Amino acid sequence: MRKTACLAASAAILSLGFASLASAEPKTNMLHQWATGSDAAAIAKLGEMFTAAGGKWEQTAIAGHTANTLAKLRADVVAGNAPPAVQLKGPEIAEWNATGGTANMDDLAAKEGWDKVVAPELLPVMKPDGHWVAAPMNIHRINWLWANKKVLAAAGITELPKTWAEFNADCDKIVATGKICMAHLSADWSDATVFEVVVYGQDIDLFRKAFVQADLDALRSDGMVKAFDEMRLMVSKYMDPAIAGRDYDTASALLTNGNAGFFIMGDWEIGTLTAAGAKPNEDYLCGQAPTDWGKPGFILNSDSVVFFKQKDPDYIEGQQLLAHLILSPEFQTVFNKAKGSIPARLDVDLSNGFNPCQQLSQKDLQASIKEGTLVRSMAHNMTVLQKYRGAMMEVITEFVNSPNMSSKDAAKAMADAVEAQM
Amino acid sequence: MASVAAYDPLATSGSWRRTQAKLLVYIPLAIFAGYYLLPFVIVILNSFRNNEEIFQNGLISLPTSFDITPWFTAWNKFCVGGTCEGIAPNFYNSLKMTIPATIISTAIGAINGYVLSKWRFRGSEFLFGAMTLGVFMPGQMVLLPWAFILGNLGLTNTIAGLVLIHTVQGISFTTLFCRNYYVNIPDDLIKAARIDGAGFWRIFNRIILPLSPPILIVTVIWQFTGIWNDFLYGVIFSSGRGQPITAALIALSANGTTVREYNIMSSAVIIGALPPLLIYFFGGRYFIRGLTQGAIK
Amino acid sequence: MAATASIAGSDLGAGRVWRERLGRWLPQIVLTPSLIATFVYVFIFTIWTLYISLSDSSLLPSYKFVGFEHYVGLWHNRRWNIAYTNLFLFGGLYVIGAMAFGLFLAVLIDQRVKGESIWRTIYLYPLAVSFVVTGTVWGWLFNPTSGIEHFVHDLGWLGFKFDWITDRDMAIYTVVITGIWQASGFAMALFLAGLRSVDQDLIKAAQIDGASVWRIYFRIIFPAIRPIFIAVLVVLLQFAIKTFDLVQALTRGGPGIATTMPAIYVYDLIFQRGQIAEGAAAAIMILVALLFVLVPYGLYQRWRTRRETARG
Repeated sequence: MRKTACLAASAAILSLGFASLASAEPKTNMLHQWATGSDAAAIAKLGEMFTAAGGKWEQTAIAGHTANTLAKLRADVVAGNAPPAVQLKGPEIAEWNATGGTANMDDLAAKEGWDKVVAPELLPVMKPDGHWVAAPMNIHRINWLWANKKVLAAAGITELPKTWAEFNADCDKIVATGKICMAHLSADWSDATVFEVVVYGQDIDLFRKAFVQADLDALRSDGMVKAFDEMRLMVSKYMDPAIAGRDYDTASALLTNGNAGFFIMGDWEIGTLTAAGAKPNEDYLCGQAPTDWGKPGFILNSDSVVFFKQKDPDYIEGQQLLAHLILSPEFQTVFNKAKGSIPARLDVDLSNGFNPCQQLSQKDLQASIKEGTLVRSMAHNMTVLQKYRGAMMEVITEFVNSPNMSSKDAAKAMADAVEAQM
Repeated sequence: MASVAAYDPLATSGSWRRTQAKLLVYIPLAIFAGYYLLPFVIVILNSFRNNEEIFQNGLISLPTSFDITPWFTAWNKFCVGGTCEGIAPNFYNSLKMTIPATIISTAIGAINGYVLSKWRFRGSEFLFGAMTLGVFMPGQMVLLPWAFILGNLGLTNTIAGLVLIHTVQGISFTTLFCRNYYVNIPDDLIKAARIDGAGFWRIFNRIILPLSPPILIVTVIWQFTGIWNDFLYGVIFSSGRGQPITAALIALSANGTTVREYNIMSSAVIIGALPPLLIYFFGGRYFIRGLTQGAIK
Repeated sequence: MAATASIAGSDLGAGRVWRERLGRWLPQIVLTPSLIATFVYVFIFTIWTLYISLSDSSLLPSYKFVGFEHYVGLWHNRRWNIAYTNLFLFGGLYVIGAMAFGLFLAVLIDQRVKGESIWRTIYLYPLAVSFVVTGTVWGWLFNPTSGIEHFVHDLGWLGFKFDWITDRDMAIYTVVITGIWQASGFAMALFLAGLRSVDQDLIKAAQIDGASVWRIYFRIIFPAIRPIFIAVLVVLLQFAIKTFDLVQALTRGGPGIATTMPAIYVYDLIFQRGQIAEGAAAAIMILVALLFVLVPYGLYQRWRTRRETARG
């Protein structure tokens, strides 16, 4: 024992002495859940940049359920072997920060001026107790309405609906032509996506109280019942009966094939539409999902990488390099072009090579910051703790799948489920 | 083999009655064979179709296209887990984990079974009972304790760590199987050998082992398929490029936000299921024989 | 065994004595590492989980004692109630179905059929396939837009509906169908092994008495292999209680939460939601359910061995 301690001490002294001469070789192993497709390709790009900058890149991609990634993270932390960089979101960053295991990136942030360039809504998420522990990769917009131009034209619709009343009227027209109004799929996250867009569009204060603060009275309120009513109308009339069992790409294909008129979905839809050969403004339209309060609005979702404390100087060096790369305009551009989202930095020019929908996204983001209408997404795990989110999503999905469940019961069940977790 | 020949309905008199009896046996057998084979046949067919055709005609349909490339893509080109090397690396990882864990746990099980059946001592029955409880532990429950232990042993995210886990969890199974089998070997054989001066290991090597192949085959089949097919530990206790095949298959089947390539998934599914299938194919007859001779009593 | 004789009669030395002493304890020594490993695995892990279930652990394990509140919370949770209701429904149908199919197939195969090894292989192969694969492929078949329903529509029967996997009330039966598909071959193998071990003289005697085939099976053979029935029952029951991968790959507990199982819930609580204490409480409840199966079985086994020894 004593001998190793001696060795370690002398090694430490040696390394101190050489620190100025030979710096550590940056190394990383990033844990994330983008295992396949364009997501994986986007991460591969990050790896290339890391390698090009002289780093040793490794990644652990875990597909499927988010639970698998979190299980892996938890097991590694319990084993005393926390991964240097992990893809984590929203409130989870704060939760892990509270365990004391996250690394402080303030020095780099100060040097590169992150506070000035990163979207302000993201700052409390990335610095849960005032210190930078995570680097944001992008900003996704959730409240998008995608439309098939031909289907709309056939139903005599000339522009995207602005309010929910207009949306319902347009849907009635589309259904009358024998098409499906809304493409939809069966997953708790997609049910919750549509539902939160409805709540947000009907009553932004209700959204904040219910989905950001998990306020029980708001969850049980008449406003929530009204939102469930709209959801029931959609499920029973505007979506087709075969939604259940359908996956995301099949649902998206309904839109591109001209079987459905609208699709409420986050902006990763751009990647799917592009892959299907559809062109913006020619084949499909994109616009803000309906709101009844007549202002630009934005429901935000952001992917980020959290850094955990390391002992190995190579990994610490690697964290600095990785964070630097993630926030570099170059990576933010490449990554987001592929993913359909927009850069988390507000100072990146999108006029060059970005999709018009992405450009609109950036414009609306700025406008909604100015109007004070920017919110974070509950469905995509940016607001409440996972246990509350899970409870809410269970009820929303149950409502979608149970034709006999009344809106009132659903609102009550949602409040009860959240309360049970408190 | 067939011990029930005496009342064999296929041998009853009268040619019509015989045909009738035959139909009564073979028709249900065939119907069940359909139920069992349906998924397999569909996966094989889909692995040779191209993806556009699958999207057009659905998953169950006779192929109108023939394409062997999905197999190669699945094996070493498809992008999964962040690299575009197909499932081949995962396949090798699984072999590196499964083979040692199967051999070690089977060997330990055989020796334990031998001790617990032929060298009983005070409390050995109780210990046997306690050991078999390991068979029933739910996997989700033991994940975190395992993480803690692997961390302390410095084995996190290594194949050796996975081998350790599967060996420890396998001991309960293998000991149970082997002990129940060895109990049926007459004690007189052992006694005679001891009188002749043979020791613990000599008896094991000369008497027990030569009688063991049926049960060892059952144990190997059981362990190999169990370890190969496990995905929970494989995902949680591996890292980077060390993930086993099941992790890659989960990645392929994940309900992601990208277009699914059913043909590549089908080929990957078959490749991923091949080693245990082959083991069953060649060891199946011993499996039943081993069971008959007392694996489960 | 002639070679063994030559060992006897070698000289006695100090080393020899030591070796003999060692030899006497050799069986116990050989067993010790396995005992320690399983002791840690079974008892320490269980005790740890039990303690954690009584602690205030959330995101990571912590050791502050809070008592039984997580058990109370668990039994008030709707999803947990659905999960264990599902367990009873699934477990019952799965065990009965797999045993019935398995027994039926074993009896058929036992009729001296041609190509026995082929039939056997067909019924047994699902056992070799992982739940990940099983769930994925059956998921395709059950999917109304691309699977069996789509296929039948293509054949021209447009009114055909088979959308159980998307129906909250029926989805659990797709899990049952897939589970039976996976496990009935195993039951078949065990039953076949049992049928083959029945004393032939008993059967012959009954035959001479002119008993019908039915009678022989139900009066002589099945009672003779009762221990096999019970063994299969116990093995399948504990499979059912631990069901995880199958549901995870087939329905992910959906639609909604309709096919949630206890083990899935444990995993979600501990790993996705970071409610480790409540998840540990749920895991302990799974262990309790297993005890309900295992304790009667253990007692039965003891009773049987005692009876056998009594009979000599």
